[in-house]
Amino acid sequence: MGMAEEIITEPNYEKLCSNILNCNEHVRFAGFVNDKSQILHSAQKDNLDSLLAENEIGMSIHYTLERWRKAQNFTFRLGKERLTFTEYDNVTLVTIPFKGKLLLVSTEPRIHYDPIIEKINSILTDWEK
Amino acid sequence: MENGTISYIQSLREDLGIFRVTPDGGVPDFKAGQFLTLGLPLESKIVNRAYSIASSPDNKKFFEFVIRWVRRPLPGRLTSLLFNAKVGDKISWAKPAGNLTINDTLPNGEKDTRRIVCIGGGTGLAPFVSFAQHLHDTNDKREVVVLHGASYVDELSYKDLLTNLEDESIAKGKDVWNFKYRAAISRPQEWFNRSWAGQVGRVETFLRPRDNGMSPLEELIGDKITQENTIFYVCGWQGTIDGVMDFLKPKGFITEHDKREDGSFEVKYESYG
Repeated sequence: MGMAEEIITEPNYEKLCSNILNCNEHVRFAGFVNDKSQILHSAQKDNLDSLLAENEIGMSIHYTLERWRKAQNFTFRLGKERLTFTEYDNVTLVTIPFKGKLLLVSTEPRIHYDPIIEKINSILTDWEK
Repeated sequence: MENGTISYIQSLREDLGIFRVTPDGGVPDFKAGQFLTLGLPLESKIVNRAYSIASSPDNKKFFEFVIRWVRRPLPGRLTSLLFNAKVGDKISWAKPAGNLTINDTLPNGEKDTRRIVCIGGGTGLAPFVSFAQHLHDTNDKREVVVLHGASYVDELSYKDLLTNLEDESIAKGKDVWNFKYRAAISRPQEWFNRSWAGQVGRVETFLRPRDNGMSPLEELIGDKITQENTIFYVCGWQGTIDGVMDFLKPKGFITEHDKREDGSFEVKYESYG
């Protein structure tokens, strides 16, 4: 008898980013990072300037991953982290863990977030199917 | 178990700290590289766990430990208590034990004069901090190299102490004190490590030959590593031990666990995972 082969398929991060970026007019940015702070893919709306300088982007990713790592220290009591929001005056940052990576999304601030989150979750779930 | 007091706590990170325990009856004799079992009460029971001693056996004031608070998949019970303890809290301890100690004689009874290379992953550095201070305090003339691996620069827990020991070696000369310390950072691309200009990768990459056939370790010491001239001491996760042996086995290095019929070996290790 032959051994069953496990097929591991990496998500198409480029396509996922594109779908998330275009799922709602208020989404500014979508990107995936791994736990080593490496950006696997990211996409930003063409007509927008980045709010952070390049070194500040690295700093922001570091803070986000640090917070994510620390949040996982409560997994044994609270379960897996599913979503975080940080609303600044100028932008809202959303993080969603996905297959051991972290999806980073930024949107315009003070908008109706529920439809965007529902759409993003549906895009991620569709990929998993 | 004996009684003691937590006499010093230095938080290096939220999950990494240096702890000192002052025993009520003084520090007993022990060997550099040994561990101590500590105990604290939890729900009317005493929870015990062993930690490698980082202080020198020549320090008779206190035991020192560098401890990581690992919380995934579950937080360790005693380590959680330690990270919630305060200076002045009482703690119990059992006598030092463990075999990761400095080899002073060869199986034929001759003095072991081989170069000592210590490789510590994370808090696996602790026994080698004890080694380094003990070898220094006893005027040992052997060449000593301490290599430390960490993910982030703020995990280089004894950088100051070990750098000072190397500076002293440079100042006094190798014939007086022959010591080198280097570290490797495994996540050099991360923003937090942006100041790092040293070795990158896991600590065992110090043993990986470059294109010129010399490993970073060999370039550091200016000599080829052989079974005759070097003994390795390794402490860390099993992956670190395996990674080191991947480089040393092809060179004919044998661990103490698998020592030859004549009792000889070139690698001593202790894993904590």
